[in-house]
This record gives sequence, C-alpha cells and structure tokens, in this order.
Amino acid sequence: MTLLDGLWLASALTALAAGLFGRSPSAGPWLTALYGVQFLLVAFMGPLAYGADPVPASPAFSVLGYGLSWQFTALSWFFAVITAGAALAAAWFMSGAWGRHYAEQGGDLRLLQLALALNPSTMYVLLASRDFLSLFVGWELVSWASFVLMLAAGGVGVRWALRYLVYAIGGAMAVMAAMVLSHALTGSFEFGALAAVVPDLSAGTLWSLVILLSGGFGVKMGLLPFHLWQAGAYAETPGPGSAFLGAISSRMGLYAMLLTLFGVLGLGTLKALSIPWTPLEAHELLAWIAAFTIVLPTFTALKQNDARWLLAWHGIGQGGYMLMGVAMGDALASAGGLMHVFNHATYQAALFMAVTAVVYRTGTADLNKLGGLVTRMPLTFLVLLVGIIGLAGLPPMNGFVSKWLIYRALIDDGQPLLFVAAVVGTLGTIVSVYKLLHNIFLGQLRVEHESVREVPGSMLAPMLALSLIVFVTGLAPGLVLDWLTTVQRELGLAVLAPTLGGVERPDGGLDMLWVVGILFAGFGVGALIFLAGGRARTVHQLDNYAGGHFLTAEVRYHYSDNFYAGLMHRIGPWYRGSFQWLQDSVVAATDLLAQAAAGVYRVVQPAAWLLGVTVLALWWVAA
Amino acid sequence: MKELPVRTEGAFAKRTNPLAHVFDEFVRFCRSHSLFMLHYCTGCGAIELPPAMTSRFDMERLGIQPMVTPRQADILLVTGYVSVKTLKRIILTYEQMPAPKYVIGICSCTVNGGMYWQSYATAKVLADYLPVDLYIAGCMPRPEAVVSGMRKLMGLIKTGKAESWKDYYRRYDHYLGNQQALFGERWQTPTDVLGEAQQYGLHGPETEGEHTALLQQVQQPLIPHRMRLK
Repeated sequence: MTLLDGLWLASALTALAAGLFGRSPSAGPWLTALYGVQFLLVAFMGPLAYGADPVPASPAFSVLGYGLSWQFTALSWFFAVITAGAALAAAWFMSGAWGRHYAEQGGDLRLLQLALALNPSTMYVLLASRDFLSLFVGWELVSWASFVLMLAAGGVGVRWALRYLVYAIGGAMAVMAAMVLSHALTGSFEFGALAAVVPDLSAGTLWSLVILLSGGFGVKMGLLPFHLWQAGAYAETPGPGSAFLGAISSRMGLYAMLLTLFGVLGLGTLKALSIPWTPLEAHELLAWIAAFTIVLPTFTALKQNDARWLLAWHGIGQGGYMLMGVAMGDALASAGGLMHVFNHATYQAALFMAVTAVVYRTGTADLNKLGGLVTRMPLTFLVLLVGIIGLAGLPPMNGFVSKWLIYRALIDDGQPLLFVAAVVGTLGTIVSVYKLLHNIFLGQLRVEHESVREVPGSMLAPMLALSLIVFVTGLAPGLVLDWLTTVQRELGLAVLAPTLGGVERPDGGLDMLWVVGILFAGFGVGALIFLAGGRARTVHQLDNYAGGHFLTAEVRYHYSDNFYAGLMHRIGPWYRGSFQWLQDSVVAATDLLAQAAAGVYRVVQPAAWLLGVTVLALWWVAA
Repeated sequence: MKELPVRTEGAFAKRTNPLAHVFDEFVRFCRSHSLFMLHYCTGCGAIELPPAMTSRFDMERLGIQPMVTPRQADILLVTGYVSVKTLKRIILTYEQMPAPKYVIGICSCTVNGGMYWQSYATAKVLADYLPVDLYIAGCMPRPEAVVSGMRKLMGLIKTGKAESWKDYYRRYDHYLGNQQALFGERWQTPTDVLGEAQQYGLHGPETEGEHTALLQQVQQPLIPHRMRLK
C-alpha cells in the first residue's frame, strides 16, 4: 500500500465518518483529527516537492482496453497540500461552536460535513490522474462534490448551485470533446500518446484542443466569460464550505489546465501557435483572458455590499493572476502564478473564516450594517487585516511575493499592457478590501453590537494559523518557491532559482527578509516614539471631530453605503452587465431552440414523428 | 519678506545658563518648527489664509501646514467673528486638541467684536472663553500680517512663553464660568477637562470652583459605547 492509497483511504474514511456521525456537533473534533491524518499523509509525500519519484496508486483499472492509472507527482502534491490544509482548516473551524450554532439554526450539519469531506477526497483522485480517462473521472467527481457542498446551504444557494451545475456540465462537455479529439488523433487516452503526436498536428487541430481544454477547465476557474456562476455559488455556501471552496476548489481548473495544456501540449506549442492576422500567440491569448478576468471581477467586487460576495468575486479575479503568470511561462512568471495558488488559498480561507466569524456573532455579512467591531473582535480583525494585506498583494504578506514575480516577469517580457491590467487589478483589490475592513471593523460600533464578543477558540485557532502561514511565507517565500522549482521542471517550464527571501537577480531581485525587516524597523521606530511619548488617554468614540459638531449616539457617522461614491461616479456607467446579457442571451437562444424542437415533435403530430424516427432507427440498425 | 520688520529676539529675557535646559530648548525648537494648524474658519479672515499658505507667501517654509482634525493639530486659528453658536463648536474643538496647543485670534472681531460689537449673537472677546496666545488684528489682516503673527508665535514657543494652554487648566473655573454665562447652565462638552488637568499636573486652586461643581451636576455621560479593546 502506497502513501497515495493511504491518503485515498483516509479521505474516504473521513467522508464515511462524516456521513455516519456528522449530525452530532461533538463529532467535529474527531473529524478534524481525520483531516489532520490526511494532511499528515500528504506531508509524508513531501519529498515529491524536492524531486522524489512519483507516488503511484495501487488500484489501476482497465476499461474496454483503456487503462486508468493514478500517481502523485510534484504538481499533484503542490495542489494536494493546499487542499489538505484548506480542508483541515475548514473542518477545524466548524468543529466546535460554529457547528453547534449551524445545527441550532436548522442547518443540516451532517450534509455539510459529508459534502466537505467529499471535496478533498475527490480532489485527491483528480490530482493523481495521469491520463485523459482518469482526469475526466476525477473532474466529474470534483464537480459533483462541490455541487453538493454548494447545495448544503439550501435557500438561495440552491439556485446558484444549479447555475454552477449548468456551467460545469458545459465545461465537462468541452473537456470530453477534447478527449474524443485526442482519441481520434492517437487511438488512446494516454497523455504521452497525445504529446508524441503534437509536433505533427495542424494549427486548426491544435487550436481546437487549446480552446476546448482551456474553455472546459476555465469554467471551473471562473475565467471570463464563464465566471458568472462562481461568486454566488461560493458566497452562499455555509461559512467553512465557502472558505474551502474559495481557497482551492476553482484552482482544480488551473491544475487540469497545467496538466493538459502545459504538461501535454507544452508551452512551446502554445508559443508557436499564433492567431492569424494578429501579433498574439495562444499563450498570450490566455494571458489576455486572464487580464480581463483580473480586472472585471475585481471591480465587480468593489461594488458588492455583502462581505462574502466581495471575497468570492475577488477569488475569480485572483485566479486571473495565476493563469496570467503561468501563461507567460517564464521562470519568474510561472513561479509567481503557481505561488499565487498557495498564497490565495491561505489568505482567502482566512478571510472567509473571518467574515463567517463576524456573521456568527452579528448575524449579517451586510457591509452596510456593521462597523466598529475592532473593539469587540480584535483577533478576528487581525486575521482579516493580515488576509486583506495578502489579498491586496502588499508587503509583508505572501500575496506580495507572487504578484511581484508576475509584475516583474511582465516587465521583462515586454508586456506593458498586461502589466497595466495586473496593476489596475491590484489597485481595485486594495480599494475594495479597504472597504471590507472599514465597513466591518472600523468606524462606529452599532448599538446592537454592543455586547458582541470575540469568537471561541475553535474558530480562532485555524484563522490565526492561516494568518501565520500568510505572514511566514511572505517573510520567507523561498519555502514555497522551492517546491515550485520541481513543479516547473515537471511541466517543462524554465526553472526559477529561489533564495529563502525570494529571488536574486543581477538587475534587482527580491529579498523579503530585508523588505520585512525594514518594514518592521519602521514600525519599531514608530513604537519607540509611541512608548517614549506622553501618556495616552483613551477618549470616548463620540468625543470626536466632525467639523465641531456635537456627536450623539442616535445618529450614525459611519459612512458605509455607496462607499466609493466619487470613484463610482466615474466608473459606475461601465457596469453594464454585458456578461449577464451574454449569459441571458445564450439561455434565451437555448430556450428558443428547445421550444422549437418541442413544438415540432410534441405539438405537430407527435405520433407521426415518433413513428418516423423509429422507422429510421430500425432502418439504420438493419443496415 | 525682507522689508517685514519681524522682531522676535530681544523682546525676551536673556538666558543665564545656556546649558541648563538644553533638552527643553531642543524640544521647543523642534516644536516651533513643526506646527499643524486647524483653521476654524469662522469669518472673513479665512480668505487671507489660502494666499498665506500657498506659493505666494508659503507658510509651509516655516514648518506650518494645515491639519484636518484637532487630534493632530497644534494651533487653532479662529479667523473672524464668533457667534454664540460657533463659539460652542470652537470650545469643543479646542478641548479636543492635545496639549501643548495654541490659539490665534485673527481679525478685530476676535479681539473685541469688531464691526459686530452691537450684535446680540456674537461673542465679543475670544480670550474670555479660551486662552488666546496671540491676536493678529486687522480687518482683515493681510497674509504678511498672518505670517508675521505666526513667526511671533514660533518665537514665543521657542522661548517657552506660549503657555496659555496651561492657563485653561489652571483657571478652568474662570473660563467655564464665562462659557456658562453665555451658553446657559447646562453647557457641557464631552471632554474631561478636569481629568486632563490632573494628567498634565496642572490642577491648581483655581481649576475647580462653583462653575465646575455646577458642570458636574448637569454633566450627561456619553452613551452608549466606549472605545476600549476588551
């Protein structure tokens, strides 16, 4: 039995235990321990990230002469460790008070536990896939598992889960079409067989493969224009579920893209594949899609008034950075893109948990109904602060490192427009996460939140642990970049030579140890001045300056509604919902076709049509 | 600026031991060259401040620049007549400033009511209600006069003579009495002036009296939430 078998077994056992005992809130810690076992098993496979031989799975099937086999490589391990960590954190978060609260509120805790447990276990199957058949099996399993998790919320969530299902089925169809095409070309579902014939394929065939694979897997990633399902589906999932989904679920699309587009077709093929009559190549097309995926969802996030929706929209936008980095493909950019997967998982899970903690205490995630909670929930505030610094890509958190690598590579590659898109996306992120922090934690505390307390330890511990990871991997990004060199080698990309603090380059590298050191030295000077200065006096919140106005508790002075009024005045008219229009028109067209078909075979002589079809079918069978 | 006769030296007593208060003098020197002013623009005098602050006269070369809140400000500029209603806001704002703080009354109106002398709604003498460090008289004073006044204040700070903010704590009962006479017995601000007087060590025999006793009777605490990290 290999470690991968053990991992599968452990994750299946977790799902079984969740299904049997998940109803009882007291099962939470035991389930968390099972997730811990999964994490340990993934950790034991750690040597993979340093160049060890792949870990195979013992089960191998043969269906109609086509073999299915599974094994973990460095790429699988990188995604698996994030998955295991996110699942552990989410399970830990719901193991105590949150789970009890959820059950008391009438939620189906068993369903939620089971759905959460199914997700990592199916992901481990997907991550181990080594041919098109096993990839497709894993892909479907993952899609359905996340559908179940989205469904767990009931209510509004069901609508979004169904929307996701439609998109996911569409994506799976595209993937299946790519598989069929590949089979037609090679007569096999092996990756190697397709990779062998790639040099001989015509541009049209290659384009079909690229479009089908990137479109099919891009649906899961929420790439434009297939992004409309994601924000609602992730935001309306119950707290820990959305933390898990937001952290890693949609990255499975990136994993599958890396495996097929980069691992099988190869970056060289993408670079050689130019779009007729344009200066763009296929990988630049991907980068441009990524650029739009960065900018538009990020600025949609800016407009949200629900904290969970705001974060979920950012999840889509940050996915754009990952794809952009990987699509540019050089050592810096691909390391940045891959590292962003890790970084995003850590801070996004922490952010969703912090927002869930706020919802747990106040009952709302509406950014217009909160404020001033920093005095009541200081540790949750700290988690959210660390998280948004990471999300905005500012030092000293890990999000800065991955974005720096991507920016740097875009400059080096002579891509000023993509660079501007990346920076504009970051600007939108900074602006909108400030809104998140301000509207929840800063400003005036509402009277009804007077007695709010900090959340209990079972919820705080995973949040703080994730925040610590966000900081430590920002301080020493070499820890993660080291794994990525192996992944880059596996995918045939240029390999980065990282140092503990970042990268060293003759024309100016990045050493986060210095950056963080200088930053904290600055804080230290400020702290010295603060400590050496006069005694501080705490004043009442309403003893505050409002142009000389006397403040009273009856009137709110915490401006949260229509937050960036000036900015919205400029960019507001750009939010025209053109993607919504696109989706609606596709829906309308499908509906019209279906009605037309129904009109023909159900209204106009259905019996005659049936008879005709049957005769034709019989004739075909006989012939 | 050469033609402006600005005299700050000589007007003050000579120091005896130059090393006695080196650190104090250094602090005062730094303080006098880094002044944030909150201009509470009450009247016409405010119109002279933009030229005083911008490139023509450029107050910032003296280290003086505007600040948006009293919590970070050093100077409170009252730039014209103060109606009774406005005076309440000025006192609130002044009390929110951290010490050391300086008040400059600009225009004749702050000195004696100026052309509003006969108005029933205008407080005549600003110094009755707040400890004023410096008046810049005129109707309105030109930017040169404003800059000259600022330099005078800098000189006072440097030599340790701009200490009227201490007077507010030492003789709070006097100021509060004048305020109560104008605003009525129920007058109060959220600031705990007596507590601050204790904190600065300026609680003297004239800090408390009949007026502060009245204040303590009528004082309504701010409800409902204190900003405090639990």
